[in-house]
Amino acid sequence: MTDVHRRFLQLLMTHGVLEEWDVRRLQKHCYRVHDRTAAVEELEDFINNINSVLESLYIEIKKGATEDDGRPVYALVNLATTSVSKMASDFAENELDLFRKALELIIDSETGFASSTNILNLVDQLKGKKMRKKEAEQVLQKFVQNKWLIEKEGEFTLHSRAILEMEQYIRETYPDAVKICNICHSLLIQGQSCETCGIRMHLPCVAKYFQSNSEPRCPHCNDYWPHEIPEVFDPEKEREAGTSRATKRSLRSRQH
Amino acid sequence: MLQKPRSRGRPNSQAERERDWGHGAAEEAPSTSRGAGSSQEARSSSSQGSRRAEASPEVGPRSQQQLELKVAELVQFLLIKDQKKIPIKRTDILKHVIGDYKDIFPDLLKLAAERLEYVFGYKLVELEPKSNTYILINTLEPVEEDAEVRGDQGTPTTGLLMIVLGLIFMKGNTIKETEVWDFLRRLGVYPTKKHLVFGDPKKLITEEFVRQRYLEYRRIPHTDPVDYELQWGPRANLETSKMKVLKFVAKVHNQDPKDWPAQYCEALADEEARARPETSGPAPSS
Repeated sequence: MTDVHRRFLQLLMTHGVLEEWDVRRLQKHCYRVHDRTAAVEELEDFINNINSVLESLYIEIKKGATEDDGRPVYALVNLATTSVSKMASDFAENELDLFRKALELIIDSETGFASSTNILNLVDQLKGKKMRKKEAEQVLQKFVQNKWLIEKEGEFTLHSRAILEMEQYIRETYPDAVKICNICHSLLIQGQSCETCGIRMHLPCVAKYFQSNSEPRCPHCNDYWPHEIPEVFDPEKEREAGTSRATKRSLRSRQH
Repeated sequence: MLQKPRSRGRPNSQAERERDWGHGAAEEAPSTSRGAGSSQEARSSSSQGSRRAEASPEVGPRSQQQLELKVAELVQFLLIKDQKKIPIKRTDILKHVIGDYKDIFPDLLKLAAERLEYVFGYKLVELEPKSNTYILINTLEPVEEDAEVRGDQGTPTTGLLMIVLGLIFMKGNTIKETEVWDFLRRLGVYPTKKHLVFGDPKKLITEEFVRQRYLEYRRIPHTDPVDYELQWGPRANLETSKMKVLKFVAKVHNQDPKDWPAQYCEALADEEARARPETSGPAPSS
């Protein structure tokens, strides 16, 4: 463990979740500050080395991917707890309960999205101090700003940060309602599903699985896969195209 | 509507007890308070056996894993609390994390402090001797370029706080609030006007910075209209130094620190005092 790793950890902690490209930038910055002459270690090894030290503290730098377009993301997550602990220190009791209600609606939904209206209608059931709908709207925005939720056209789904941090908790708390990707076997909030047998896949998992396959078929029941196959995320292509991430994300429509 | 099997049925009193943690965690309390709470839970025999690696409250030999987990919870607690820049009280640590492990609290704290320094580069220090409150000091020097890669504001090493610390030091370590505003007005910062960057400067200086222990704010008796004096708080002394602040002031004026001989001497003496070996470490004075 050197100062390079420590600075990396300190700065990584200031982000709830960070995209791979920014993580590399951060890594390079830490080398520049502490060890200009050293060769920058391969990110995967760099992170594995840090994780081996973090193991005894029951935390790890976890890698995931955004559900809509498969961008690799990283977050420092707690392994010992399966709860909303990082959130617990930033939000009041009633705000946490609002999140929990939204979370349940999202998990139960078919699309992985819960409408603002449906969430706000549960405001009377919240624990703690009474919250008005107007206030709840602002709290939802706070969740978006802090990267716990994503909002799209008045509907909310989980941010990759929330998925990385809470996957364990979600799977343990809602074992019957939870959806799993048939390919990667991780928690699935948004994705595509087979209309015949009902299995589900993440969009980036669909992209990878059916890559250059002209006749995509369901891996489970072999029926024709009826949905549009998204493209595999290519960091190089994106940088060349110079498309703003915001624009790209809004182009992706939900597949259901 | 799907049934949501809530495998964790916590009695309401439990939620009550954990309300203080952070801003009040409800059912899904962080493992830190769960650690403390589980002692009560076990007695009411509703502990969640399914959860992995949970610290057992039974008196008697505790496993290596249980101890490791306790230290991990403590480290996480300290990191999260310090992020808010609020000094961490020993009573809070005992209440929300240590719980039944009270007998080995000094050892747990020592282990947590070691891990914090080795893994993250943060040193656990007592705010003032015998105060039983702690903060984390960064052993790594902040670098300007950090600002480009971090996700938050970071420690206010530059900006309003530094200016105020500089003012206080240059004026002989204490300054009247009215003098502070006389100066800040020249920079376009007013106590009553909302500022684009600082928001509410009066609240920031007289409340926020004070709460974070960067400043001390005391009423000057027998003043009419009421005036207050500002001094460095214990956190300022721990996170920065007179020499660093003097260098900052010199830089702002495009001069050399030695151009202020009195302050320079004082800063030098302060550096010498710091260089002497510390008498108090992070170990609790129990």
